[in-house]
Amino acid sequence: MRNTRLILVALALSFLTMANTASAEANPELWSVLKQSFFGSKNIEPADFMKLDGPKRAESGAQVPITLTISKPQDAPDAIKKVYLFVDANPIPLAATYYFTPLNGKVELATRIRMEVDSYIHAVGETADGKLYSTDVAIRAAGGCGGGVDGDETAIRAASGKMKVHVDAPVKFGEPTPVTFLIKHPMFTGLQRDLVSGGYKPAFFMHKVAFTYSGKPVMQVEFGVAVAEDPYMRFSYLPEGPGTLEVSATDNEGKTFTHQLEVTN
Amino acid sequence: MLYRLVTLLLFISTSAVADPLAMQEVAEGVFIHQGAHEEMNEGYHGDIANIGFVVGKDAVAVIDTGGSKQVGDRLREAIVKVTALPIRFVINTHIHPDHVFGNAAFVQDKPEFIGHAKLGDAMELRRDIYIKNNTDILGNAFAGSELIKPTKPVSDTLEIDLGGRKLRLKAWSTAHTNTDLTVFDDTTSTLWTGDLLFVERTPAMDGDTRNWLKLIPQLKAIPAKLAVPGHGAVTPQWQAAFDKQQHYFEVILADIRASIAKGIVMEKTMDSAAASEKNNWVLFNSVNRRNINLLYPQLEWE
Repeated sequence: MRNTRLILVALALSFLTMANTASAEANPELWSVLKQSFFGSKNIEPADFMKLDGPKRAESGAQVPITLTISKPQDAPDAIKKVYLFVDANPIPLAATYYFTPLNGKVELATRIRMEVDSYIHAVGETADGKLYSTDVAIRAAGGCGGGVDGDETAIRAASGKMKVHVDAPVKFGEPTPVTFLIKHPMFTGLQRDLVSGGYKPAFFMHKVAFTYSGKPVMQVEFGVAVAEDPYMRFSYLPEGPGTLEVSATDNEGKTFTHQLEVTN
Repeated sequence: MLYRLVTLLLFISTSAVADPLAMQEVAEGVFIHQGAHEEMNEGYHGDIANIGFVVGKDAVAVIDTGGSKQVGDRLREAIVKVTALPIRFVINTHIHPDHVFGNAAFVQDKPEFIGHAKLGDAMELRRDIYIKNNTDILGNAFAGSELIKPTKPVSDTLEIDLGGRKLRLKAWSTAHTNTDLTVFDDTTSTLWTGDLLFVERTPAMDGDTRNWLKLIPQLKAIPAKLAVPGHGAVTPQWQAAFDKQQHYFEVILADIRASIAKGIVMEKTMDSAAASEKNNWVLFNSVNRRNINLLYPQLEWE
């Protein structure tokens, strides 16, 4: 069902994208279709407390750096608990869904995405009681989704799941502490050509990543294939005292990888 | 009726005379057209790479064909002006669009298309994106352009004979791209480096820069008197040009590694890495940022 919906959206969008090829600029019309298919007729209010930053023109469609900032703190009664990130003009627009907790403090999250063509990026934030808020940014970019996969697939698969997790030192307990997270993964989009079969390489991507600190949930993320190869995130959390930052990552084939980092000051 | 229409169309398409490209004979029988230093996404006209041909006693070999069939047609007109000998070989030095899309202009000559053993697959994988992007950028000027795959792939070395003149081709491991091929003309000791060497224009990265750096000493050991770089002026001082390029690689790699070690994010590193090289190259700001965008996520895993 979910897949069918995604395919229908992709089809609807591809028509709009085609109609827009004459002017190579981000198409603002795609959003109404996307919004309707994901949120129905629900009201989405533009929010000045949410912000997306990215380059005006991406140097590479394969690794476009973007940053989401939410100035409203996570312990506010009307805090944004969940954020959907869309690349409007991508063949599969939903790039990621983030679930935040009070341990995130104030959200400032940087990641890298793939962009197929010039596009608006939308972030839709949801409060605990289901109110929706949005912000957007237009980025010019090209060719990040279908590009060539070169290299030995067995080796690529063997290396996938390896993580690098780093906490900026020195750590001050009770204060926002930046975490850099990297996980080795090809993030096959399902849109890349497979020269052996003559068709397309099946999608193979890191799907769910959960961060906990000494057992308490910090943040959960669901990635889509618009997240760039070797997914990267940098975000902050509030360590109350020394503890273990644990990451559990599961790919779309159900394989789980874990990583622990002892945090001391 | 249909047959007559097809014949008529064929006649029109083959007889349309293109304006010949300006060529320079840089060594006896070695003709090159130097492309302009234009950005790919701003003001690109399909004519930025160095392309040309070598004339033997029996045949002509084309080396790179430009970024569109139109540019290829104009190169072909330039060849016809110089010699009536048949065009038997069309060599591509690598996969990039500014070097290969003119191949379509030479199909009528039924040449051997020659490229790196990985070029055919690379063309297959990049075809959709390349055609879309180049159609968007060039519009009608891109009409008729196609990716024509090698009929003769080179996995190591190959010698071709133009009649009293041998060209030695060598396929390299992944460096500028995964399809780099050099051509050495025995008669004049001229080396066509493809984009393994950039002169003036900021070297663009795509393949494996760390390996490219390792290959520079081998490239410099080739006994050439003159080099035709992929972009920029033909030069007898080509070994110094490789040194200059090596310096840029060393600086950009060192600066990005230092940034990663200090926890400076990619976005900020794109403003700072290799800034000391800014005045040494053309189109530096845009190409250098793109290089950092490619290298930083690779170097994070060292």
